[in-house]
Amino acid sequence: MKLLPDCRDMSSRLSEARDSGRALTLGERLHLLMCAWCRRFRVQLDVLGLAAARAPEGGPSLSAEAKARIRRALGA
Amino acid sequence: MTDPAAWPDAYGDRLFRYALSRLRDARAAEELVQETLVTAFRSRDRFQGASSELTWMTGILRNKIFEHLRRQAKEAALGAVDDGAREDGLFAEDGHWTKSGAPADWGGEPAKAAESAEFAAALRACLDALTPAVAQAFVLREMEGLGPAACAEALGVPSNHLAVLLYRARMRLRRCLERSWFAPEPAR
Ligand SMILES: [Zn+2]
Repeated sequence: MKLLPDCRDMSSRLSEARDSGRALTLGERLHLLMCAWCRRFRVQLDVLGLAAARAPEGGPSLSAEAKARIRRALGA
Repeated sequence: MTDPAAWPDAYGDRLFRYALSRLRDARAAEELVQETLVTAFRSRDRFQGASSELTWMTGILRNKIFEHLRRQAKEAALGAVDDGAREDGLFAEDGHWTKSGAPADWGGEPAKAAESAEFAAALRACLDALTPAVAQAFVLREMEGLGPAACAEALGVPSNHLAVLLYRARMRLRRCLERSWFAPEPAR
């Protein structure tokens, strides 16, 4: 039996822990202490989540045709 | 309540962007915006004025997006199987990150990277490259902020499968962003 989770284990466990909101186990915390890559991975999960949660700004607009179509559908 | 004739101009673009960022399909996004405004028009008596009109309409749109994704998930279940083979090469035999797969440093302040509009655009482009089920799981969980149980229900998958979908989404998105966003400019 492995004493500590390896990086492959850690990647799926960190993803799962993000969703379940559970605390990390001692083994997982020890791995993070020793492994800069998995620490980076964990930051990346946060960045992905934060960026996704932000409301989209700018970007494409609803076409004039679609707006006209919707106005007709609203009977206006 | 404002004049419904003004809604497409007043709210159309924002609702459209909201839908497009989640559906990645301009046509479907357009249709859902239209359905949303028609639904809002028909149920305008129920608008309480406690929230802004835009907030109220976004709530209607959200539900339509969930319905749309649920329908899509059902269809996708019959279609392509996603076997997760794309995670190959990230880890060595001993379970450590490989040199090419190892996470890059995205900077010490996650919030800072996430704030950039360009990063958001890069994320959207990477989301487009995911298979539908994987993308939908990420959209519902991280963009809509649904809890894992609600996500699994919306997609009609068991919770352990949802965890796999979310894992694949995150692994592929981070990889895609490292190539498109964090990769150093190639020397010319
Ligand atoms: Zn590690």
